[in-house]
Amino acid sequence: MSRYDTQDIIYALATPWGRSGLAVIRISGEGCRASLSPFFSSPTALIEAKNATLVHGYLLDEGNARIDEVVLAINTRGHGYTMEEAIEISCHGSIAVIQAILSLLGRIGMRSAEAGEFTFRAFIHGRLDLTQAEAVEELISSVSQSSRSLSLSRLEGRLRERIDELKESLLTLLAAVEVQLDYSEDELDEFVFPRHALATLIESIGSLADTYQIGRLYKSGAKVVLAGSTNVGKSSLFNLLLKEERSIVSPYRGTTRDYIEADLEVGGIPIRLYDTAGLRESEDLVEQEGIVRTERLIGEADLIIYLVDSTDLGHIPAEDGRTLVVYNKSDLVRPAADTLAISAQSGEGVDRLLKAVEDRLKRSLPDIGEGDLVIEGERQWRLLEGAKGALVRALELSDSVDVLDVVAVELAEALTNLGELTGEVRSDDILDRIFSGFCVGK
Amino acid sequence: MDYDAIVVGGGHAGIEASLALARIGFSTLLVTQRLDTIGALSCNPAIGGLSKGNMVREIDALGGEMAHLIDRSMIQFRILNRRRGPAVQAPRAQADKFTYNRLAKETLEAQANLALFMDTVVDLTLDREQKRYQGIVTERGHHISSRVLVLTTGTFMEGKIFIGEWETPAGRLGEQAAIGLGTALRAKGFPVGRMKTGTPSRVRRSSIDFSAVEVQEGDRVMAPFSFDYTSVDRPSEDCYITWTNEETHRIIRENIGRSPLYGGKISGIGPRYCPSIEDKVVRFPERDRHQIFIEPEGIGTQEMYLNGVSSSLPEDVQHAFIHSIRGLEDAEIMRPGYAVEYDYIDPLSLYPSLESKLVDGLFIAGQTNGTSGYEEAACQGLIAGINAAQKLKGEKPLVLGRNEAYTGVLIDDLVTVGTKEPYRMFTSRAEYRLNLRHDSADQRLTRKGWEVGLQRDEQLTRLEEKLDRIEAVKDLLAARSWREKNALAALKMPEITIDVLKETVEGLSDFDEPTLYQVELDVKYAGYIDRQQRQVDRFERLEAMEIDPRFDYDTVEGLSSEGREKLKVVRPFSVGQASRIGGVRNSDVAILIVHLRRGGGRV
Repeated sequence: MSRYDTQDIIYALATPWGRSGLAVIRISGEGCRASLSPFFSSPTALIEAKNATLVHGYLLDEGNARIDEVVLAINTRGHGYTMEEAIEISCHGSIAVIQAILSLLGRIGMRSAEAGEFTFRAFIHGRLDLTQAEAVEELISSVSQSSRSLSLSRLEGRLRERIDELKESLLTLLAAVEVQLDYSEDELDEFVFPRHALATLIESIGSLADTYQIGRLYKSGAKVVLAGSTNVGKSSLFNLLLKEERSIVSPYRGTTRDYIEADLEVGGIPIRLYDTAGLRESEDLVEQEGIVRTERLIGEADLIIYLVDSTDLGHIPAEDGRTLVVYNKSDLVRPAADTLAISAQSGEGVDRLLKAVEDRLKRSLPDIGEGDLVIEGERQWRLLEGAKGALVRALELSDSVDVLDVVAVELAEALTNLGELTGEVRSDDILDRIFSGFCVGK
Repeated sequence: MDYDAIVVGGGHAGIEASLALARIGFSTLLVTQRLDTIGALSCNPAIGGLSKGNMVREIDALGGEMAHLIDRSMIQFRILNRRRGPAVQAPRAQADKFTYNRLAKETLEAQANLALFMDTVVDLTLDREQKRYQGIVTERGHHISSRVLVLTTGTFMEGKIFIGEWETPAGRLGEQAAIGLGTALRAKGFPVGRMKTGTPSRVRRSSIDFSAVEVQEGDRVMAPFSFDYTSVDRPSEDCYITWTNEETHRIIRENIGRSPLYGGKISGIGPRYCPSIEDKVVRFPERDRHQIFIEPEGIGTQEMYLNGVSSSLPEDVQHAFIHSIRGLEDAEIMRPGYAVEYDYIDPLSLYPSLESKLVDGLFIAGQTNGTSGYEEAACQGLIAGINAAQKLKGEKPLVLGRNEAYTGVLIDDLVTVGTKEPYRMFTSRAEYRLNLRHDSADQRLTRKGWEVGLQRDEQLTRLEEKLDRIEAVKDLLAARSWREKNALAALKMPEITIDVLKETVEGLSDFDEPTLYQVELDVKYAGYIDRQQRQVDRFERLEAMEIDPRFDYDTVEGLSSEGREKLKVVRPFSVGQASRIGGVRNSDVAILIVHLRRGGGRV
């Protein structure tokens, strides 16, 4: 049903997922400017912008912190591709920025667009001519395919089976509740709320949703930060890693100019590697600011490679899941046997370092346990999370109040979410389940 | 023209249809095979139940009769599912079937503009193109003409009763079937099929061992189904509960081959939700017992209805298995259980107004449309009657939305998706169940009943006064506090009931119970209703995009061939309805929307 609806504000990344100089996020729907304006540095300019104009400024999060510097291209109603009020956000093409913006849009009540939905709206609003029957047919059939089961094309084999299994369990659970609502108390056996089954289902859906982090890691990459005192050889290692690795995009300066970043791939995981300003005390205000930023970067990192000079040990942080201590200059001083030692000069030990990085990144992920099932799409993840949220509320409700009618509302919402992943569930399906599973009827 | 309208059949659909037409002001003739069985409760002597009780109150809010009939004939009243939550509670009443039956006939007889006539309709006359209804032909050779016809044949059209190896053409045991009409309709091209239903035996009260069965009492306070008055004063009779056992099941299993269902004599499809005892035994072999409710058929009769053991097994087997049941060891069977198979007309051949797509001026309602249940029949009869009247007036039909009434859900399901088994209403068929509470039926429908000329001004005034009182209570709560909390906010908390607030909030007890109850539910459910509202809005936008039923789908380029065919069969009234048709793709809906926006929807 949502597919025919043009009232929601929808958004999608219009440029490919991945790193690039510039990314474009497209938003369409009446009221989108008003929705976005509280999170834009020049709200009035955004709201009052005329059709086909550009507005420059910063996107802000709920705490008014800047997410990114952006240019907004505005279309008012009756113009542009969809003929709806629309915004195109041009932002920096960093995955972190893209993710932060998409996540903001979701939080402020916009909806992640379904495949072909912009085109669908363009069609609905008469932007595309119906007399071009063939083109329309083709266009719409792509929309309809996606609507039948939007993510089906992406949901292959076992993942699809797994979601179907979850849906089956939920359907059984819902039928157990619905039968209590469809028949009167005295017609049925004593009812015990299937608390355990619901809790199990919440866990299963939750762990499948959690695999999104794994998918996200492979898709969006990990942040790895090179840290350590000045002159421990961070830059040498940085350059060496870039040389070793063939899939480099190209190093360029970060917009903040406090660190250098570059992309490489380790064990199939795209990595954004940061060479930071050395951590040292400084009187220089500019440099102090740089250190603050480095610390922030370290805080956000998936993994920190803390480089230590074997010839001048100094401070050595404790290793933890996120910190890998690496001893440089192994060509000069032989480090202890159980340590990870490299020579950024000769390249000795770099293979082992890369392996260690890969292992660490994979180890920090939730235990998959679902075999190789991994949720990759943001939309799939949202739907699973939505289902889980509704089920958690159902569980809480069933614990606190003794009314099944609202519990059923939550269960149905969870089923709708799963249904959007693998195909709609009709009320007939629930009745079928009731009739086949329960001996009912006077 | 002899009459404005003719209604065929005096069951629950026919009663509502004929009263609606006559009350709106059209001269109406009701033709029935037997005047003595008008409003007969052929099966269970009870009205209401989950979702069904809601439908009775919907009928009342629109200006129908069923609630009045049961309010004046009930012999036990209960609110079901008190513990499951207000949205799924519903009233149910045992009826004294003689009183119900007599009141129904009395009401029809007392109605101005309404004539009653005993005969059997065997054919319809149509115009030369076979497109327009003109009149009826009866068994005794009468030709009677009218401008519209409402057909409510129940289980009588080519009805056939089965008890084991024995069979006879009948609609109810001892009442002959209406032979000829089904055949005539088939010949005219109507999509006629067969369905099946069944009923259990009735046993003699004095032969039951009441010491061996459980007692089931009614609620202490009886409440009316109708919104027209606030109390009912009727006697309350007990029902009783017993169970089948392994021995019962063994007897049934050993004789299953003698069942006309399992022996292959019945081809009609029976309801899964109301299975015969032999079905239950076969389908749920792991269960060692099934519940039976023993219900009185009325006051002044010994007959007791064995709810739960509907059967078409041979009478000797019925005797044997009933006598194996605790409390019924010496039960004297007065009427055997039986199965009945009958003709129904595929409801996909109807518009949402319940008018036939094949023949102009013909409306069809009730079991003829493949439904089951008195309440399902009655609400269709009412809508068919209202829409036949609307047609006579030249006005738009009344079509209730799925978010407005169970009646709307029922008719939309029938005419959009059709049905393969006798269709019964369930709360889970309604997407917006929270909006369809029985106590809010008047708020949902009274105005619509008034608009079609069925509800009087005073009912509308009464509703407006109720709405004012509800607002007044909400204002009062908003202005008062309860333990340093705003009273309205306090009521949102699950543990705080309106009764708790009544103790301390001054002025609250001046209001009547139904009003206070409504406010309580409105406030407690507000969060859920708000969440649902978004879906409802979406739903309504699609429903609001109307399509002319005569719209030529062949003129629309780009529709899928399956979608086009399905649209031509169903001929939906709205884009919303179109989107619910199986086989119509999203792309078809999109193309329709664009076509309509460009003004292509009118003929």
